[in-house]
Amino acid sequence: MTDIQIERADGRASALAAGSARRLLAGIRFVAPVFGMLLVWELVVRAGLVDGRVLPPPSLIAARGFEMVFDTEHAVLLQHIGHSLYRAVAAFAIAVVVALPLGFWLGLNRTAYNWISPILSVLLPLPAVAWTPIFLVTLGHGDATIISVCFLGAVFPVLYSTIQGVRAIPPHTIWVVRSMGAPRHAIFTKVLVPASLPTVMTGFKLGLAHSWRTLVAAEMLAALSYGLGYMIFAARQYMDTQTMFVGIVLLAMLGFIFEHFLFGTVERATIRRWYAHHRKGG
Amino acid sequence: MSAEPAFKPRLAAIPDPGEPKIVAEGINKTFINRENGEEVVAIENLDLTIRDQEFVAIIGPSGCGKSTFLYMLAGFEDISAGTLSMDGHPVTGPGPDRGIVFQEFILFPWRTVLRNITLGLEMQKVPRAEAEAAARKWIGLTGLTGFEDAYPATLSGGMKQRVAIARALAYNPEVVLLDEPFGALDVQTKFYMIRDLQTLWQEAHKTIVMVTHSVSEAVIMADRVVVFSARPARIIYDERIDIARPRDALDPKVIDRQREVTEVLSAEVDKQMRREAGRNPLGN
Ligand SMILES: Nc1ncnc2c1ncn2[C@@H]1O[C@H](COP(=O)(O)OP(=O)(O)O)[C@@H](O)[C@H]1O
Ligand SMILES: [Mg+2]
Repeated sequence: MTDIQIERADGRASALAAGSARRLLAGIRFVAPVFGMLLVWELVVRAGLVDGRVLPPPSLIAARGFEMVFDTEHAVLLQHIGHSLYRAVAAFAIAVVVALPLGFWLGLNRTAYNWISPILSVLLPLPAVAWTPIFLVTLGHGDATIISVCFLGAVFPVLYSTIQGVRAIPPHTIWVVRSMGAPRHAIFTKVLVPASLPTVMTGFKLGLAHSWRTLVAAEMLAALSYGLGYMIFAARQYMDTQTMFVGIVLLAMLGFIFEHFLFGTVERATIRRWYAHHRKGG
Repeated sequence: MSAEPAFKPRLAAIPDPGEPKIVAEGINKTFINRENGEEVVAIENLDLTIRDQEFVAIIGPSGCGKSTFLYMLAGFEDISAGTLSMDGHPVTGPGPDRGIVFQEFILFPWRTVLRNITLGLEMQKVPRAEAEAAARKWIGLTGLTGFEDAYPATLSGGMKQRVAIARALAYNPEVVLLDEPFGALDVQTKFYMIRDLQTLWQEAHKTIVMVTHSVSEAVIMADRVVVFSARPARIIYDERIDIARPRDALDPKVIDRQREVTEVLSAEVDKQMRREAGRNPLGN
């Protein structure tokens, strides 16, 4: 290897190193305030400024969490998490299956849109949990009711975003591909889908977030045995604030993971690659 | 309508007129205004014959119906009355024999420059390697070499419009329709585009119809300049530009022609303004 080649390889290595250093720094910037908050919380409780029975310190919450995984039969905490994830994701998946085709249809068909959109604007701001008693009456306690309520939480944001995404496609974009003699299905797959993807992705994010938020309340009202919402609610009978906080912390953590990792990966592979660039050329 | 001819046809030597490609006869277009239900006559009794491989620039006051006419040729806007045919067949809808370029550089941001340009060929099931070879030819001719793998978001307006032009040419339509292709560009970029692309149009061997609001653009680029009247659109000027290419904006022959077209156009704009002032007595 000549000196020049070594130099180039070094340059590439140092660029890589700089990149990972930047990511590390960003990670620290994010984690540090969270740890700071936990530390203050711990100290405030330990110093006796707050009643530890109402607000248990993070160390005890963590200990309780581990206990619920390792010192219980069937790792009860994992059962709660599993049930909650299953319900939220199932509701979200059904919402996508329903809202995506419906959204494309309403986005493309002006007459249908004019009829349906007023109804949507009335239903969109309605909290899905409000439907829980109706489902309890018809479906009883259990997964069917919880998933139905979460579905209602997830379906409107996905539907609304899909419609917006499709409607925002400039008609001339479709004219350009039609001029190429594109058959209908190609217009759909090669233009409508990718063009609406950024907005549809936002809808997915919102849909899953809504499903997750709705879940807690629905589980409190309709779950029979498992689920984080159920766990938090059931713990009140024993004044078990540690278990309640285990549930709350997990809800936050899982919600965070959905938002930043699940969709982040898809976004990095698509939208950010298409749009996040600097301009070049004159 | 006034029947007086607005110009005296001049018998110029016509370089290679070609067979009639697009024939419009007695075209009318009436829009219904969505808000008040009033009829807007955009085009009235328009006749125009465009010949094979002719480069025609259409110019006229804004709102006179130029885009409407172009979209009719593209097959996206239907005709209220009259006939419009291409190669003797009535135009009934869009088709790959006509490519279109819009002012707002419509690109597919999820595709690289190369993939934007190959899309038309992909639609026609042309094998990938062949499609890329064809695309690269137009990338070269439009000055996009080196940008093949760039995403549109990284390009300036001028480069974006080069991609849109290359894309419209790459799938080999017989007619290319351009709706104010340089209208969204700054003066400097526009100047370079018009200069750089002069040879492209000759190389393309296509019938080209370009709508523009710039007289100099029309005179420097086209074989023939057609001026539309204020709405409803009729033809008030139709002349061949017999000036050898490449044309220079400072060539006295070019300047002469620009003056001639500008006179026809400003007389028309004045007439329109007077008519509008008449409709609005406060004249604000
Ligand atoms: N879809 C439409 N509905 C109603 N009026 C229209 C429509 N498209 C164009 N017009 C009207 O027709 C006239 C000609 O428009 P256009 O062809 O876009 O003019 P331009 O010469 O500036 O390209 C304008 O008065 C415009 O308002
Ligand atoms: Mg126009």
